[in-house]
Amino acid sequence: MKKLGLNTLKLDNPANILNTASIVGPKESNGPLAEYFDTCINDEFWGEKTWEKAESKFIKEACNTVLAKAGVSAKDIDYLFAGDLLNQCISSSFGLRESNIPFFGVFGACSTFVEGLILGSVFIDSTACNNILCATSSHFCSAEKQFRFPLELGNQRTPTSQWTVTGAGAAVLNKMGDGPFITHVTPRCYY
Amino acid sequence: MDMKQTPAEYQNYVNEKSPNSPILKNCFNAFWVGGLICCIGQLIYFYCTYKGLDETSSSTVVSISLVGLSAFLTAINIFNRIGKFAGAGSLIPITGFANSIVSPAMEYKSEGYVMGVGAKMFTVAGPVLVYGISASVILGLIMCIFV
Repeated sequence: MKKLGLNTLKLDNPANILNTASIVGPKESNGPLAEYFDTCINDEFWGEKTWEKAESKFIKEACNTVLAKAGVSAKDIDYLFAGDLLNQCISSSFGLRESNIPFFGVFGACSTFVEGLILGSVFIDSTACNNILCATSSHFCSAEKQFRFPLELGNQRTPTSQWTVTGAGAAVLNKMGDGPFITHVTPRCYY
Repeated sequence: MDMKQTPAEYQNYVNEKSPNSPILKNCFNAFWVGGLICCIGQLIYFYCTYKGLDETSSSTVVSISLVGLSAFLTAINIFNRIGKFAGAGSLIPITGFANSIVSPAMEYKSEGYVMGVGAKMFTVAGPVLVYGISASVILGLIMCIFV
């Protein structure tokens, strides 16, 4: 591994993105990208009692799906990089603790997933790890509750206000494969 | 798009492209819904005085009724739809205040009755209460001393 310029790392052993999986909620299921998701769920609670538990289920099932698609079992995963928007990353830590994979909690809000991929690919580059799992989740309702206002509050949104995605995504990185590869990583401050 | 934009140029570009809030429509809806809520209050007031209550008691009945109605509509998931449509029209009357206390109570029920409902109930209305009550205390003191 070599540092190029101010912020870029060039990886000697590019990490291969073996497979990916995504599970989304109702709004995303009705959007233009619906056909690209593995699973579309039409219930914001997904049978759970709270939004936080539902979010945990989203990330847990996304990880199960990607492991099944990649044909890798959980015990072959060396480390897991995951995060979400909630306090202490509870949806990923609670959702993924049963998988029994050493877990690094990552918090980068929108950048959490890429942050996980960056860290995971550097671990792969070390050649000590065979498989790394990266995952992230968010839930519109739990994010509104944590960062903004209760859903029942009668306030107006501007036409450009953001809607946090309800869903989870996961990817398995390994050493060799047919790509796509992560060859360089650039964590960059814009200003 | 030029990749070497300054943050200010980018902000201008975003402002140009993003749709604005429909201010006129929002104002109109806020005006008539807010007016309607006040009319309902006035009707309750007239009914109370007609039935023989004095002015102070009638005003109290109006407040209680509107707060109760708004809390009930919040609970059955209707008030937030009115609020999305009417904005400040439903937020500024006492109905909005009731909604701002009931909605966190509902939202945080999943975290338990003490640490959830009890502790988080005033997350939205809290600042209004703190500064409203503080201001009234200060005004009361000024009244006491100077008037």
